Amino acid sequence: MKHIENEIKILKNHHIEMWNLVQGQLIKSYEALRKSDKTLAREIIAKERVVNAQELLVDHYCESFIALFSPVALDFRFVISIFKITNNLERIADFAENIALFVLYDQTKPIDKVLYEKLRLEEMMRLTEGMFLSARTALINEDSHLCGEILKTDNQVDNLYGNAIESLAEYVAENPEEALEVLHLNSVIRRIERIGDRTGNIAEDIVFFVEAEELRHQKF
Amino acid sequence: MDIISAENIDFYYDDFHALKGISMGIEENSVTALIGPSGCGKSTFLRLMNRMNDLIDNTRMTGNLIIDGQNIYDKKVDVDSLRTKVGMVFQKPNPFPKSIFENVAYGLRVAGEKDRYVLEEVVENSLKSAALWDEVKDQLKKSAFELSGGQQQRLCIARALAIKPKIILMDEPASALDPLSTSKIEDLIFTLRNDYTIVIVTHNMQQASRISDKTAFFYLGELIEYGETRQMFLKPRLEATQNYITGRFG
Amino acid sequence: MTGKQKKQALVFWTFRMMALIVVGLLAWILVFIFIKGAGVISWEFLTTAPTEGMTEGGIFPAIVGTLCLVVGSMVIAFPIGVMSGIYINEYAANNLFVKFIRIMTNNLASIPSIVFGLFGMALFVNTLGFGDSIIAGSFTLGLLVLPIVIRTTEESLKAIPNSFRNGSRALGATKLQTINKVVLPMAVPNILTGLIISIGRVSGETAPILFTVAAYFLPKLPSSIFDQVMALPYHLYVLSTSGTNIEAARPMAYGTALVLIIIVLIINILASTIRNVFNKKVK
Repeated sequence: MKHIENEIKILKNHHIEMWNLVQGQLIKSYEALRKSDKTLAREIIAKERVVNAQELLVDHYCESFIALFSPVALDFRFVISIFKITNNLERIADFAENIALFVLYDQTKPIDKVLYEKLRLEEMMRLTEGMFLSARTALINEDSHLCGEILKTDNQVDNLYGNAIESLAEYVAENPEEALEVLHLNSVIRRIERIGDRTGNIAEDIVFFVEAEELRHQKF
Repeated sequence: MDIISAENIDFYYDDFHALKGISMGIEENSVTALIGPSGCGKSTFLRLMNRMNDLIDNTRMTGNLIIDGQNIYDKKVDVDSLRTKVGMVFQKPNPFPKSIFENVAYGLRVAGEKDRYVLEEVVENSLKSAALWDEVKDQLKKSAFELSGGQQQRLCIARALAIKPKIILMDEPASALDPLSTSKIEDLIFTLRNDYTIVIVTHNMQQASRISDKTAFFYLGELIEYGETRQMFLKPRLEATQNYITGRFG
Repeated sequence: MTGKQKKQALVFWTFRMMALIVVGLLAWILVFIFIKGAGVISWEFLTTAPTEGMTEGGIFPAIVGTLCLVVGSMVIAFPIGVMSGIYINEYAANNLFVKFIRIMTNNLASIPSIVFGLFGMALFVNTLGFGDSIIAGSFTLGLLVLPIVIRTTEESLKAIPNSFRNGSRALGATKLQTINKVVLPMAVPNILTGLIISIGRVSGETAPILFTVAAYFLPKLPSSIFDQVMALPYHLYVLSTSGTNIEAARPMAYGTALVLIIIVLIINILASTIRNVFNKKVK
């Protein structure tokens, strides 16, 4: 096997491990939120260290790859994309940890069922989780068309978020004693929306890798 | 464990002070690259390790060069025997005007090996190690000159491997070759590192960064910086090194 | 055509004429000798001794004599010359001493052959007591061509790039092994050329053999190296200048000349062929 192919394989493996870790954190955090599961929340918070370490590891290999191999064309796009995607993944894991922190420390009681429905939390979680898994598939299959779908879904998530904010505003007007709770919930919903955003960024990075086209800052 | 150890070496061509106080150690089964501008002494230093500088008149050396625990400039050292332990590949491929088989077998014959079966086996293994066997296995009697430049260089590598050296010195082995041949030779070096210690002089910094574990930067006869290749190419300790590597030289 | 091209054409035309003149002269000599001498050539001519005061018979003893001298001188000149050439080029450092040797070798090459003849007589014939003999003649002729052999050996070795020597030494071969296995085989074609030139020289030289070996007439073929011999160039000289009946012997003279030329030509062709075979092997 050619020398550079070997390096690329090693880098890919470390990057996939990053995906594994962050995927685990994300799914767990949504479960913890659904069930107010404090044990799960603790697991997530403990694992955050491992995620950070993995990010440093991938960064290390990306730096080596660029400094030592002076990559061009596909190899160059590959390593730059890996760099950026890893960074986005780490942020997503951060958001998952924040959700876990809410469940563990800030949540005093389970979310009111009616409110839960109005906020359409379940839908937001389902959509963003779906986007994440699609992004992983898109990267492995180098499928830029799938990335387009992901970006469209992000628009949906943004709309849901806008509606959720309005619902929260109505709720707090009717239940002012719940103000603190609502503020925390706002943070949680914001995190979910940011997870969608970051996943959208990952989709853009994948398109750059595959097509060498810049999709950033464009309306989709 | 350092298999090669240079201790404060100075070297002179007539009055010209070519190497100044060079001290460095090279680990076994590693690839070490020597880089630097033309005339900086890297090839001179390389040739010290198999005493090829002895073939040049009016040269002088001070300091110690220890290879595999032995000071190779000691008076008792059998220089020809040293050269079977420390092999060399030259910049321009220099196969002998003999057949492919005879080229690879040359070192063995010279050492006294006559057994045909031994010769055939060693030739085959060496050509395989040099990634040339598949291309020439049916034409071993063909003249070496009929091979392409890249093939000739791999033949020279096979020829050097045949005498089973511990160390292989390479003096810009790919500089006379096209990119595809160069790439083949780099892949070859990458696989050879498991069984041999390799020291390679190269003008091509990307080559040094791709294949070496450690890199030594020479300038005007001095060893300026020597360290892990990753360190040298990410954040060299000295500005002079950085200037050379980034091409801001001179 | 431009002025430059006209000038070039004129110059090349002049070169062509010069070359044609050379070829023409050579051809003229060959044809002249051939015409004058061919009539005398016969099997008898080549295999019997001269009779009737050199006007009849053949030149067989002279042919034998010349061949003996060629072999003898080569035995002396070739090993000494080649080994000296190897020493000068491969072993000696390039210092004043070696430069001195080279100058002396060149001077040796320019000494007139008659001087060699006198030297040979003084040393081999008289002082060492060999008398007029094949051995004395061989030594003298050997000395005559020695500088040629040394010089061509040296030039052939110099022409071989050091990259081959370095490659061999780097594999653990000694200097001697490198010379035997790599350098000499490559130099052989050119060294052979030196050999050819030397043989040609030896076959045709008259002066060195005048006082050291040649005899006008010998009834028997030589049986030892201490015997005298007849030789073609000397025989030719004698037939043309002295003897009892110069006019009658003239056809024999031309015949002798033709035989001499043909022998040299054959040797040249033979050596060229050997050289080509070697070149193919080396490639």
